[in-house]
Amino acid sequence: MDINSPEFKNFIKLSAVLTGYSQFHLQGTGQAALYFDTVKKIIGQNIFGELLETFQELDSKAQNDESILIDGLRSKILSSEKFGPIARNIIKLWYISTWYQLPKEWRDTFGTEEKDETFIPSPAAYPEGLLWPTIGVNPPGAKGQGYATWSESPSVSLAKS
Amino acid sequence: MTTDNGYNLITTVEELHYYLKQAMKLEHATIPPYITALYSIQPGTNLEGFHIIRQVAVEEMLHLTLVANVFNAVGGKFVEQKDGKVQTVLTAPDFIPPYPTYLPTGSVDFQVGLGKFSPATIETFIKIERAEEVDEGKPLVVSRPVQEHCHFLTIHNGQPSDTFYSIGLFYAEIIRGLNALYKEMGNALFCGDPQRQITPEYYYNGGGDIVPVTDLRSAIRAIRVIQEQGEGSRVGAIYDAERELGHYYRFEQLKQGRYYIVNRDDPEQSDRPHQPTGESFTVDWDAVYPIKENAKLSDYPVGTEVYEAAKDFQSAYSKFLKDIEYAFDGHPEELIPAVGGMFRLKEQASYLMRNPIPENKDGLNAAPIFRLD
Repeated sequence: MDINSPEFKNFIKLSAVLTGYSQFHLQGTGQAALYFDTVKKIIGQNIFGELLETFQELDSKAQNDESILIDGLRSKILSSEKFGPIARNIIKLWYISTWYQLPKEWRDTFGTEEKDETFIPSPAAYPEGLLWPTIGVNPPGAKGQGYATWSESPSVSLAKS
Repeated sequence: MTTDNGYNLITTVEELHYYLKQAMKLEHATIPPYITALYSIQPGTNLEGFHIIRQVAVEEMLHLTLVANVFNAVGGKFVEQKDGKVQTVLTAPDFIPPYPTYLPTGSVDFQVGLGKFSPATIETFIKIERAEEVDEGKPLVVSRPVQEHCHFLTIHNGQPSDTFYSIGLFYAEIIRGLNALYKEMGNALFCGDPQRQITPEYYYNGGGDIVPVTDLRSAIRAIRVIQEQGEGSRVGAIYDAERELGHYYRFEQLKQGRYYIVNRDDPEQSDRPHQPTGESFTVDWDAVYPIKENAKLSDYPVGTEVYEAAKDFQSAYSKFLKDIEYAFDGHPEELIPAVGGMFRLKEQASYLMRNPIPENKDGLNAAPIFRLD
């Protein structure tokens, strides 16, 4: 996977708009390439490419005006029968490190991919979920803080937003 | 004490303090290179390499703490007024070497830098941990040509080109000094307040047992732990006094792609050096982030998130050293939260390495910066 490909860059940009986290933070989780591959494999290159192109168009139209971009995202992606469920799945993937099987209606209309099951893409994904910095705690059972630090405040800083 | 070459080595308490400060500098100097390589490994890959480097890095932290205990025991001061200025140890301007650097022992045949997990990096790590045995009474110092300016440990009455071949020899000199000064001064050498010692209740499961130092015996024991964890108990054996594999051989496993077997019941039956017979494993040198070597803040475009994150890391690392120094300086209970700070540093370092440097023409990723603020 080429992280310098325009497709990957678009995916990160789209993910940043969808999650509210910066591209730096998303790349910093170390899961970006894995999630890119995961989504692409499950929904197929065609729909994945269409989704990213749609986002790319919205992004260039918005010309760095965030409110225009977000309006476009709502009407052309989140409200779209085809892209909405995928976009919501991408949000869940980043926040709780889980790919959820797409809704039945989606599968009936756009095809049932074999790999479209509910699963966690990698053991390393769980501690990197955006859920944890969002609520300001360490992922339970992962990311050790060192002996006796449980008597201190959590070391995770609440996400800036 | 005089060596065959006629050098006077450690003869005064002041010289001993100087050597111990250099030792802390030396122990710390290996930590940024080890953790840089460690965190450059992509998540979930190279588990063998990750665990081997991590364990060694943790033991270097133990060594730093052990030296601090010896330093406190012989009346060393972490914060001192000298010539109208405040002098510190861990937060002194030259405590963190500018990488790439020669080690403070003065070995000039290799430099240590901050680079990704790679065969060349592991080769350097093996050199850092190399061993040589010298008979008691033989000089521990080898004369080497100096090619460029480097951060040498100055040997009293020696030439600037006289350096220690290995870290072990440097510590052997400290042990000689302790013995010689003890002969002269007796227990007065250990004039430090025992309350300043880092004891096991403040140092939990960090790469071996912490040794509180109150007398000659415990001082030598503390130094021996450092020597042996690094190089093994003696030349020709792969294990240390605790019957664990020395650092040198741990790193060598990565070169060979095979584990050593240490027979803990009968250490003589352990693998021979350079001939591991344990399980083999594959090292994936490509599952590594292509980080910028020996990164400086000026390598990152101002105003980018990478720049800000690198600056934050630099501050956090400076604060970490400050916190550790404060704990060593008579507040041992502060060590626990300070060490907890390391886990946050790990996060910050990893985030940097997983991000490409904006507009970098070589396609390199960012890396943490180890400089004092």
